[in-house]
Amino acid sequence: MIKYTVQRLFALLLTLWVILTIAFLVIRLMPGSIYEDTDLPPRLLETMEARYQLNEPMIVQYWYFVQNIARGDWGTSIAIRVSVPVWEVLYSRIPVSLLLNLLSLFISLPIGILAGILAALFQNRRTDHAISFAVVLFVSVPSFVFATLLQYTLAFRFGWFPIVYSTSPGGTPYWWSMILPITALALGPIARVTRYLRGELIETISSDFMLLARTKGLTVFQATVRHAMRNSLLPLANIIIPMFTSILTGSLVIERIFAIGGVGGLLVNSLNANDHPLTVAILVFYSLVSLLTILVVDLSYGLIDPRVRVGGSKNE
Amino acid sequence: MSDIILEVENLSVSFKTYGGSVQAVRGISFKLHEGETLSIVGESGSGKSVTIRTILGVLTGNATITAGSIMYRGQDLTKVTEADFHKIRGKLISLVFQDPLSALNPIMKIGKQISEALRLSKGLEKKAAHDQAIELMRLVAIPEPEHRYDQYPFQFSGGMRQRIVIAIALASDPEILICDEPTTALDVTVQAQILELIAALKQKRNLSVIFITHDLGVVANTADRVAVMYAGRIVETGTVDEIFYEARHPYTWALLSSMPDLETREELFAIPGTPPNMLHPPTGDAFAPRNTYAMKIDRQKEPPEFRLSDTHSASTWLLHPSAPAVERPLVLSERIGRMLKRREKS
Repeated sequence: MIKYTVQRLFALLLTLWVILTIAFLVIRLMPGSIYEDTDLPPRLLETMEARYQLNEPMIVQYWYFVQNIARGDWGTSIAIRVSVPVWEVLYSRIPVSLLLNLLSLFISLPIGILAGILAALFQNRRTDHAISFAVVLFVSVPSFVFATLLQYTLAFRFGWFPIVYSTSPGGTPYWWSMILPITALALGPIARVTRYLRGELIETISSDFMLLARTKGLTVFQATVRHAMRNSLLPLANIIIPMFTSILTGSLVIERIFAIGGVGGLLVNSLNANDHPLTVAILVFYSLVSLLTILVVDLSYGLIDPRVRVGGSKNE
Repeated sequence: MSDIILEVENLSVSFKTYGGSVQAVRGISFKLHEGETLSIVGESGSGKSVTIRTILGVLTGNATITAGSIMYRGQDLTKVTEADFHKIRGKLISLVFQDPLSALNPIMKIGKQISEALRLSKGLEKKAAHDQAIELMRLVAIPEPEHRYDQYPFQFSGGMRQRIVIAIALASDPEILICDEPTTALDVTVQAQILELIAALKQKRNLSVIFITHDLGVVANTADRVAVMYAGRIVETGTVDEIFYEARHPYTWALLSSMPDLETREELFAIPGTPPNMLHPPTGDAFAPRNTYAMKIDRQKEPPEFRLSDTHSASTWLLHPSAPAVERPLVLSERIGRMLKRREKS
């Protein structure tokens, strides 16, 4: 298990390097650059070109780029917050984004699992139909529509929640202001988990070992919880990855709607402002978060299913 | 003969589907005596598995019992609610499955699956259940049970898994053991071991066994009495000898003819056609379209049951006094001759 984890960490670094390279290339292929401003005095342009090695061939630029990043130097922001190191810009914005995204994920799992079990147990009955209707609704409508709807009804019309995010962390008003964005982000994932688990459970419930569990004398509910649940969790772990990335991308828009000063809004801004060092850093941040999610999910397979436990244990 | 432990009377089960209702079991009756092995044979879709699932009360949601009763210790199992049924299941009637590969929960430790049954049926404490589970594993001849207890199904071979399923079925000291094609998924040598194990356990624990199979070889080795099922009905029933040597129903003849023995040289007999669609069961004898001996009446009216002896009866118009005398197929007669000769020798 440890050996496998180390291997996976190395693979993660390798993937990150590939992503860095692609980011580097794509950004230089994009039209528009802050250095193309014709109003700037030529001397200033020359100085900047020399400072960022822009007069060198691409391959040399790439070499400098990799060297700097290996040293932990991500460069400085050149448009959004001029001359502030990129790391510092990010550092102030990452916590709230992570909090928002992870909370959405952790809230959607238990609710989705519960709704999935209910739908599967009452298959083709009224409970199932009601849940399945909500699922279709939440899966098909994008999160920003819900965000706007929630903001308009619950926050603006009824005044139950603050309309935008409260900037001072901690305290009741802060958490209160987080509820709407988290809800908007979590509805889609809840629906996905529900739909998936319902399908998996219905299949597992009709399997032979469930019948054996029932002939042992377990009730249907006991058999479902003790035998079917864990068997259905493994395929569920698969969809956590796409689910989390969809939360991340949804967050790009949601953060804007609720005026949350997170990373999501920053990415859009930095792209529009041609703030390349910042864009690269944000891309890397998102890649790292996604890769870590994949790693955690992959490692958790072994916990859920003894058949995929890697490297052998003392039992074998 | 000993006491009757289970009596199925005129049982009918049908399934609601989008196409209409499928009549899987159409009025079957049989008795199970204490300590005997009753074998139910028939091809796929003849209603064998539905019958035993009905007895165990584990039918799927779209199935309904349309008629009949299942009497077990003075209790009609067709009228027991789900809330009470899970006490009867397991404790008194246990099931051994067709496919040991899928009958065990793939991600639960073997020992735990056995001890779970023990704790449920006997209310044992964790430690006691653990010890008894190991005892059971030893009973079904699992080597190194202490070590095997903590392993998972994927670390067991097919035959061992079937032993575990049998151990689970025995965990609750059942009176009736129902085996649903327990050897179908196993290779021949393992089959023999499992059959021996079931026979030995039956002796040791005085079990009554219902044995579902389509393998007549298995029937010959295990059963006391045989019921032949076709299209949701029992067409012939009798003791093992009566079915193998004195069968009277053309379907039983066809089944016996399609089973090879060591001397079979000629091309093996196959029953022509396919079983009827039970969405629209045919009028008359359901076997008539595939029956080379079919008469006009077979297509018009269902044959009644003709009693041949105390234990032997068959439902075919051929047994009617005014039916023409028909001999069983020559191939079969030759084969029966060989079987009888071999039996005399041994």
